[in-house]
Amino acid sequence: MWTDDGEGKILYVQTHGVDDPGRSATPFFLAASAAAMDCEVGIYFTMFGPQLLQTAIVDKIGPKGDVGQPLSYFINQATELGVRLYVCQPSLDLNDLTVDELIDDVEMIGGAAFNDMAIEADTVISF
Amino acid sequence: MADAADRILDCTGMACPLPIVKTAKEIKTMEIGEVLELLATDPGVEPDMNAWSRRTKNELLKIEQDGDVYHVFIRRTR
Repeated sequence: MWTDDGEGKILYVQTHGVDDPGRSATPFFLAASAAAMDCEVGIYFTMFGPQLLQTAIVDKIGPKGDVGQPLSYFINQATELGVRLYVCQPSLDLNDLTVDELIDDVEMIGGAAFNDMAIEADTVISF
Repeated sequence: MADAADRILDCTGMACPLPIVKTAKEIKTMEIGEVLELLATDPGVEPDMNAWSRRTKNELLKIEQDGDVYHVFIRRTR
């Protein structure tokens, strides 16, 4: 949820999962950049997006496959700057995942909370 | 360089968003009024540092280009 402590509020939405690694890291890049600009930033993972947050996956895939940094590097870069990660239960169900299978930084929200954050945000960017 | 920076941050060879992310982290460890010199080769660094400085309200003193290397001078203002 927003605290209004930053210079602006950006909410990113990630819908792509492990089948499309080239689309996995960019939301984290942009979120890290925004957080570095003192914006308050959240990324909401829905549809296939929660697949990217699995503890068993984050070190195994990266935006360029086996070349370059793994996804965990880009996730940490964002969360170290205060970017918050959100998922909702139906998206976990869709991917047969439980929150216990995800990395520690993930927060559970629902559709109402997501819509409320979207209304309050300065902008919402979907991938 | 005419103006001596208090600290130099070498981000040459690093791609976006690392120069911004590292600058943001580094400047928070400096005293208000001190100057950071960022070295970067990412071709987007000039518009990026303009936007970053405007948003974070730190002062972008100047950007000099020396071959492929941009020298970005930023004063921490708050």
